[in-house]
Amino acid sequence: MLNSRSNRLTEALEEANALFDGVCRAREAALDAQFLVLASNIGKEKANELHSEMSAFDSTAFAEDLLTFMGINRTEETDDSEDDPGGFLPGDAWKRVGEEALKYFKRAPVFHYMLGSFKSEPPVPKQRIERQKKASRGKAEQAMPAQLKKMEESHQEATEKEVERILRILQTHFENDPNTPISFFDFVIDPNSFARTVENMFHVSFLIRDGLARIKLDEDELPVIEPTKPSGAGEEDSRAGARNQVIIRLDQREWKDIIETFEITEAMIPPLSQSPEEETELE
Amino acid sequence: MSQRKRSKGFGSSQMTDGEDDFIPTQTERRSQDQVNQKVSELVQFLLVKDQKKIPIKRADMLKNVIREYRDAYSEIVNKAGKTLQEVFGLQLVEIDSKRHTYILINNLPCAEGKYLCRDEEKEKMGLLLIILSFIFMKGNSVKDSALWEFLHLLRVYPGRQHQVFGDVRKLVTEEFVRQKYLEITPIPLTDPQEFKYQWGPRAEKEISKKDVLNAVAKIQGKDPTFWSSQYSEAEATR
Repeated sequence: MLNSRSNRLTEALEEANALFDGVCRAREAALDAQFLVLASNIGKEKANELHSEMSAFDSTAFAEDLLTFMGINRTEETDDSEDDPGGFLPGDAWKRVGEEALKYFKRAPVFHYMLGSFKSEPPVPKQRIERQKKASRGKAEQAMPAQLKKMEESHQEATEKEVERILRILQTHFENDPNTPISFFDFVIDPNSFARTVENMFHVSFLIRDGLARIKLDEDELPVIEPTKPSGAGEEDSRAGARNQVIIRLDQREWKDIIETFEITEAMIPPLSQSPEEETELE
Repeated sequence: MSQRKRSKGFGSSQMTDGEDDFIPTQTERRSQDQVNQKVSELVQFLLVKDQKKIPIKRADMLKNVIREYRDAYSEIVNKAGKTLQEVFGLQLVEIDSKRHTYILINNLPCAEGKYLCRDEEKEKMGLLLIILSFIFMKGNSVKDSALWEFLHLLRVYPGRQHQVFGDVRKLVTEEFVRQKYLEITPIPLTDPQEFKYQWGPRAEKEISKKDVLNAVAKIQGKDPTFWSSQYSEAEATR
């Protein structure tokens, strides 16, 4: 229909004109109007085609000449990438066109500040107001969860503190006598409290996990514990490599047996504070 | 208005910013010095605002500079335009008389080979010239698909990061449009939606069709008269 030699558009318009005689409803009239819009668009399109035929402007040739102007290197073989179909554009290609373009534009020059300028900032006070509003709105509901969070945090902190304390004890013992390995049982077992023993083992497990201490077997096949030396690369390696899981099982009878066998009389890790519950657990 | 008087008004803008302490009543006749100060403030405002090349709205001028001098608006704007012309060689042009937006254009002939602008800006102007000439040569209106097809030949792809322009689609469809170099309008009754690209009002002010035709002729190594219809149009709108 777009072909300039085609009469289809005229035929369609004549047909629509004939059909319009039978129109009696609003919807039909609207369709007719819609057809007119379409027809005029096609007519415009046709006019455009005619225009460009007369103008003889060949955009492909223009693009080729532009590429030449930009200094394209056509001899270079760049067939491996589809991005550059034949030819290689130098880095300053667009600068060359820009140089040429600026000759024609009556563009007001853009200045810059000799001492630099500050970037204009978004309206900060507005944001602040919003934030305050949000805070005050959520205050009432937030009171409860905030408290809860605090408890959790303090508990977490308690564990961390205890782990750190145990590490310090371990390090002191080791420094006092670096040649004698520390028996794991001697270290963790509290002869006065089974619960404290289990707790100590729990805390020591964190030291092992974090690579701050390690457990190995001595010549008698008994577990000994020692702090790892805080020296650079080796530590990193052991940390990355040691991803094993070991479950240590200990019941009250074994605990008593160990105390007797190893003649443990006092805890190497002194209890933080003697609480009444622990006393009762002794029974 | 004499040169001496204006420069006096210009200097005083840096020293005082006391229009808040001094609120003249509507009935009181404003002194020439007060108006002149507003003029120099507006000149500075326009110069800074022009940096991003987004047209300056009259509402912004009123809100940020002129304020209580609203009744003297046209006098202040006219004088600011005169100062820009005489001191900076810039012309203040209203590009939209409905929405009252203004741009600054350079009114001085370009010194050959001396362009004080950053490379980034230069490259963008190169792309812009190419787009504007494509639109003009194609009869002042092109479809979006035709433009991108053409740019494709120049290794510019809308969906990909360009090593010079970055997001080209954004540059063309947002930055150039906001700066009023290009106008993009949807073509009715097209599915999928098609758009036509035309020159924006800033392009009409900053570059003449004759210059565009000359640029194309130079690049193609032909005489401008080769394209007869474009040539007669360029001559007519000169």
